[in-house]
Amino acid sequence: MSKFDSRLRAALVAFLVAALPAAGAQERGVTDTSIKIGALGPFTGKAALFNPLNYGSIAYMRYVNDMGGVWGRKFDIVLGDSACAEAKGIAAAKKLIFDDQAFMILGNPCSGVAMAIKPTLIQENVVWSGVSANPRIDGSVGSGGDGPPPKYMFHTTPNGYFSGLTMGKFMMTKPGAKRIAFVAHTNDWARGYCDPAKEYIEANGGEVVLDTAMERGSTDATAQVLQIKAQNVDGILGCLYQPELVVLLKDAHKYQLGVPVIGALGADFGQTVQQVGNPDAVNGVFFQGHLYKDKIGAPSLEWARQILVKYLTKDELPSDGEPTHFYYFGMFNGIGVVEGFRRAGRELTRDTYIKAVETLNDFDTNLGAGRVTITADQHIGVSNMFFNGLDEKGNEVIFTAYGKPLH
Amino acid sequence: MLALLPQLLVSGIAIGMLYALIALSMTILYRATTVVNFGHGDLVMVAAYLLTIFAVNATLPFVPALLLSVAVLFAFGFLLHRAFIWPIIRGPHLSLAMMAIAVGYSVRGLVRLEYGQEAVRMPRPFAEKIFFVNNVVITLDEIAFCVVVLVMLVASYVVFSKTRFGRIVQAMFQTQRGASLVGINVMQYNNVIWGVGCALGALGGVLLGLILILDPDVGAWTLLRGFAAMTLGGFGSLHGAVVGGLLIGVLEKVLGTYVSTAFIDITCYLVIIVVLLIRPRGLFGQHATLRV
Amino acid sequence: MRLTRRAFWLLPLLALPLPLVLNQYYQYVVNLILVYVLVGVGFNIVVGNLGQLAFSNVAFFGIGAYASAILTTKLGMPWWLTVIPAGLIGALAGCAASIPALRGVRLFYLAIMTLAFGELMRWSYIRTPVLTGGSMGLSVPPAEVLGWTLTRDDQKFYVFLFIVVVVVVCTNRILESRIGRAFQAIKNDEKAAAAMAIATSRYFLLAFALSGFVVGIGGAMYAALVGHLSPEAFDLVQLIQQFAIIMVGGLGSLAGSVLGAILITATPEIFRDWPGFEELMFGVVIVLVIMFLPRGLVSLLARIHPVFKDRFYQDD
Repeated sequence: MSKFDSRLRAALVAFLVAALPAAGAQERGVTDTSIKIGALGPFTGKAALFNPLNYGSIAYMRYVNDMGGVWGRKFDIVLGDSACAEAKGIAAAKKLIFDDQAFMILGNPCSGVAMAIKPTLIQENVVWSGVSANPRIDGSVGSGGDGPPPKYMFHTTPNGYFSGLTMGKFMMTKPGAKRIAFVAHTNDWARGYCDPAKEYIEANGGEVVLDTAMERGSTDATAQVLQIKAQNVDGILGCLYQPELVVLLKDAHKYQLGVPVIGALGADFGQTVQQVGNPDAVNGVFFQGHLYKDKIGAPSLEWARQILVKYLTKDELPSDGEPTHFYYFGMFNGIGVVEGFRRAGRELTRDTYIKAVETLNDFDTNLGAGRVTITADQHIGVSNMFFNGLDEKGNEVIFTAYGKPLH
Repeated sequence: MLALLPQLLVSGIAIGMLYALIALSMTILYRATTVVNFGHGDLVMVAAYLLTIFAVNATLPFVPALLLSVAVLFAFGFLLHRAFIWPIIRGPHLSLAMMAIAVGYSVRGLVRLEYGQEAVRMPRPFAEKIFFVNNVVITLDEIAFCVVVLVMLVASYVVFSKTRFGRIVQAMFQTQRGASLVGINVMQYNNVIWGVGCALGALGGVLLGLILILDPDVGAWTLLRGFAAMTLGGFGSLHGAVVGGLLIGVLEKVLGTYVSTAFIDITCYLVIIVVLLIRPRGLFGQHATLRV
Repeated sequence: MRLTRRAFWLLPLLALPLPLVLNQYYQYVVNLILVYVLVGVGFNIVVGNLGQLAFSNVAFFGIGAYASAILTTKLGMPWWLTVIPAGLIGALAGCAASIPALRGVRLFYLAIMTLAFGELMRWSYIRTPVLTGGSMGLSVPPAEVLGWTLTRDDQKFYVFLFIVVVVVVCTNRILESRIGRAFQAIKNDEKAAAAMAIATSRYFLLAFALSGFVVGIGGAMYAALVGHLSPEAFDLVQLIQQFAIIMVGGLGSLAGSVLGAILITATPEIFRDWPGFEELMFGVVIVLVIMFLPRGLVSLLARIHPVFKDRFYQDD
């Protein structure tokens, strides 16, 4: 028995000695020439619609690689499919961390998965940056969470809390707006946007008269729209994915609701307008949160479009080859992440990296509507956004507040 | 709020027509082989994608694209029965159910691989239009739903009760063994019926594509509505499927508006559970429970 | 026969040193397999042994998981004390799910009805946010066993392995007893079983309750392993995955449930580098198994060694 014990101990010691240099000498996932990045996304499953968020940051990192990388290191990107399911997502994240030895995980848009992997990320001190809506992931006091932010987790875009808040603000800047209705999916993504918006509206003299559910796959919104119509509301907030947002807009027009509908970031504005297919149903009525400094397709964003089109494969781009808003959203995230690496310098560890990220102050991504400011107490980098809308002639307009165009 | 009732009835019946068509197509399969096609929803969904591919990628006009996708689904149903269902038809019901689920699941996986990451809009044959009758709103799509489904219902009634083909199918529903004893090629007939059922389902998918943005997961959703309509109407009954579909369409709207929008999605589950517990044979069906 | 018995102890013993060679990713996958072993074993009782087309397994799984999570988060119970209650609540759900079967609902009717029951449960998780956290989900603190907190996957592994061995051995005892033979008689011919004075309704209730109990415990383990429950985790996709476990493994076979759980959980991990193909692959694999191996992969192994041949395994 004791013989076995000592042998076991010897084996363990040998194992540890062999394992130590790998862990101690250099930061996990960092070599002199590369940084391993895990990109976790819903490649399959019912939220695959959001996977382009990952491609946006991947495209930007490939572009940076092409320009020579950061401090001599190039990004080595490994994909992980979370299928938007917790059990699968944890497996994917653990593979990226323990098997692929990724330095950082570019986060999953699915909040449930992000919440499920959070304990592992914290335990293993893995750097995470993502675009999930749920404020409980890396929000802190003032950004939807309670207490300080998790040390190595951050957003370089608004989280659901700030996006929802901005939606509520936009609604309440409409003159005379008081009675507001909500139409939302029954999932954590939708609640991530709708709950802060609700909070803001109620705290600022508004009244949430209805909070209706609209399930994924709904063919019509008759019940929701008729309920809303009976309540005489001043506006609707729709925390819906694109397919259902289109249905809501069509039915709001069909039943002549005539009040503004404000969408969350779950849809592409241009595509939604096109898919509603009826100018009367959207002109002057449909608004949506807009994360970028100008409209997509504007000359000032052409550089971003060039990167997306050049560095993504045909399979990664939509079938018509034109990147949607989600791709730019992901790129917004990628720019902040890469800037962190620039500022961290040659001596790259997770601590120098997160310190560098926390120096981002009013950082202009040249893409986003809001500038990125991250501090030790606040890891959500951006707290505001613009809104898309259409004028009477159907031209896209960017608004900073209701009725206040940017240009 | 009571003033809304006529509107709810109209839009409920219109969407109910769609459920009816899907239930009708499943009932036709069920009558032929007494197998419930658990993968039907995915086939319905894939028809709308096929039409989009034919119309957008192959730039066909709408009608040829429609006919082509219905034809493809006919062939698919034919082959599905011939290659996957018939060889195991004598096996346990579980295998039959799982076979259909698995085929549907593969189809869904294939669609998701290609279109999972974008929202696709099916091309339309006509512009959207809204009509007002008194205070009730009705869309051109809704009228189209009613017309297509009524035509299909009459057509299947004629085929199944007035033609020789229909009588043979009826005979097979009673007893497959007896039918084969009198020299009917049961397999071939069933192949055709699966083709017809899937083609009808395809039509339902195309109607669905008129009113929503395509999503690979629409299939599961359609399937449950179809089940609820079949259960309410009574399994195996053609007109039962239609009546069941209409009732569920209306019930969803009424419950959703008067009680809570949270009930829209579970209307069909509640209907299934209540009907099977209280009156398992539904409105027009035959015996559905086992007496021991 | 003796070898079969020994397999219940030998296989887990062989698994004991696994944490020494596995990193936490593989260890997590192994733990997930253990969860799905119970899910498969429980599911197989109603579908494989009793031969009923019941699709309510995901409901039992979710109910067990939420029961354990609610007892830990709302009542502050340590996780290990919630395992048995989660199983009991799962058994209660099993009793509820057996009501239509007791009323004579069979075949596709039962399938559709239990499918509706499962979806209704998912809706209930969304609609009772006070208990379940609603659509935002419910985060569970790290599991605690006898004052020991399980934060790492290798710690969870030993606890899970212990639970799985106990539950599987007990289930096997029951299935080998008169009860199991009665299930088999009902599966083969329900009317004949009734004619032989087998109280069929009592065995229906028993099978569903037992299934709910085993799967409910699996749910409690899932809650401890994943740590965050959301209603969407208990949807139709989960159902298809659980079906795949028992179909691919082997209907009505304990060894089949274990084999199925291993294959269906591990295979997608092997194919991780080709994301997107999972649904397609799943579908194709089930089709192939039904076509060519209707008794599941375990029937292949049974030809090699009788260890895999269950008492109720019939080669027809």
